[in-house]
Amino acid sequence: METLSDTPIPSQRPPTPKTFHRWFIALPFLVAIIWSVAGLDITLSRLLDAPGDAWLIIKQMIPPAFGEVYERGAVGKIFESVYIAWIGTIIGAFASLPLAFLAAHNVAPLWIRSPIRQLFNAIRAVPELILAVILIPVTGLGAWAGTLAIGIHSIGTLGKWACESIEDIDEGPIEATEACGGKWVSGMRWGVLPQVMPVISSYWLFRFEINVRASAVLGMIGAGGVGSELVSQLSFRNFPAASAVLIMTMAVVLTIDTISAAVRRRIIKGAETTDEESRTLQAITDLTGIRS
Amino acid sequence: MNDSTKTSERPVKPKPRARSFLIALVLLVLTFWAAVKVSFDLSTFWEVWSNPIWSKFWPIPWDWVFTKENTFDPLIETLQIAVASTLLGCLVALPVSFAMSSLTTPNKVVYFISKTIMNLVRAVPDLFWAKLLVTAIGIGAFAGAWSLSIFSLAVMVKLFSETVDAADPRPLEAARSSGARHLPAVKTGVFPTVFPSYVAYSLYIFELNIRASVVLGLVGAGGVGRVIETQRQFFRFDRILGLLIIIFGIVWVIEQISVSLRKRLV
Repeated sequence: METLSDTPIPSQRPPTPKTFHRWFIALPFLVAIIWSVAGLDITLSRLLDAPGDAWLIIKQMIPPAFGEVYERGAVGKIFESVYIAWIGTIIGAFASLPLAFLAAHNVAPLWIRSPIRQLFNAIRAVPELILAVILIPVTGLGAWAGTLAIGIHSIGTLGKWACESIEDIDEGPIEATEACGGKWVSGMRWGVLPQVMPVISSYWLFRFEINVRASAVLGMIGAGGVGSELVSQLSFRNFPAASAVLIMTMAVVLTIDTISAAVRRRIIKGAETTDEESRTLQAITDLTGIRS
Repeated sequence: MNDSTKTSERPVKPKPRARSFLIALVLLVLTFWAAVKVSFDLSTFWEVWSNPIWSKFWPIPWDWVFTKENTFDPLIETLQIAVASTLLGCLVALPVSFAMSSLTTPNKVVYFISKTIMNLVRAVPDLFWAKLLVTAIGIGAFAGAWSLSIFSLAVMVKLFSETVDAADPRPLEAARSSGARHLPAVKTGVFPTVFPSYVAYSLYIFELNIRASVVLGLVGAGGVGRVIETQRQFFRFDRILGLLIIIFGIVWVIEQISVSLRKRLV
């Protein structure tokens, strides 16, 4: 009978593989570290002082002056950021949806999809802040510049995601529509749209979460929203007020993330649970990322 | 089976619930309210062509743009910020991610604390960190590198700890059952399986950092954004446009290299 004992058991550990080549991988990293650190004029004294300086500021930030910033209308500013993100997402969604159909390789011909794909790539390459820098002289300072910047930037990412989900579909329904004599548009409406809409709308919500953060930042260069409030408080070195603005922004960002994550899960997975308790648990998981 | 004739009719479309109408109405009202608040104005799109501001964008002064002190020195500073903060952020992220994954966490307390801190850090947008650190430790690339390090740490631990969560638990169990202590068990049981995605995510973070470091200068945190901010105050949009073309050319090349490396890894 063939047993395990017939096969020779290695009495020794296998030899450790030679690791000489690792030095060739490590070398570029070392060079990169030295090169980048050398350029950032990091001196030992700065490095040692930095935590102390940061701690001084943190000490002044406590307690946060919520009353003061509330009277200055910071809550309205935060909501302005949310409005900018919402309208920007809607602009991006409406503009990107038809473009995505023209960019997907299974439903659009080459001559139209390649320029649209390049358009998506070009838009995605330019950050919202740079778009806002260009748009502010055109539209003037204020929320509309930020909204347009976010809307245009969202076209790039939303278009790419929507296009990828269109490319993943089951093509049977398109064929069925064509067999009934439907035109290209009918195929898209009845064959593709019902398949991709859940995924695409959850992408819209996800983009909205990202846009809330982006629009908060846009205020820093005068494109509307809460960023301007933080900048002015920090330039007056009014640290209690600055920390209040910061905490309020974080609260709004986390709330929106949680709600949006719940809605997205509802769209993609359907109503998994109906009892209140497990829903609350899910919401806590969305908020904290902690699975229990 | 006298009902069989009825099957040729279309099934009745279910009536939408009253709640759905209510939600749609609320969203519509909110959208209109938001549109008013951001002074939604599509006429921008057709008035934009007659806007006299465009003459300020053209022609691009290439001899100003192609100089060492105007473009290339700040651009190199930008790259240095991105490289330094990617290295620091991703290096710190490695142990933190293992502490934040329910599979490899040493204990519940570490898990809970690291998760909470990282969630709060991630809730603050990247340029808010930059502005805070510029105020705290002074204007310049030093503050920029710190803020991007913090932000890349926060994003990296989110991505990588989820990968560790999904790692195969059996090698870890094998290591534990042979008597390994926590760290050796994680090192031999989990680390080799997740290391390729660690490198891939690091490259992805590097791409994010390159883009972020371009705009850091707008809040005084060093790099090529500083030049953009200065020229913006002088209304020299022709110079900005020239700069942007150079920047995005270089950013695009770096990204393509990084993307092709990532494709080979995963």
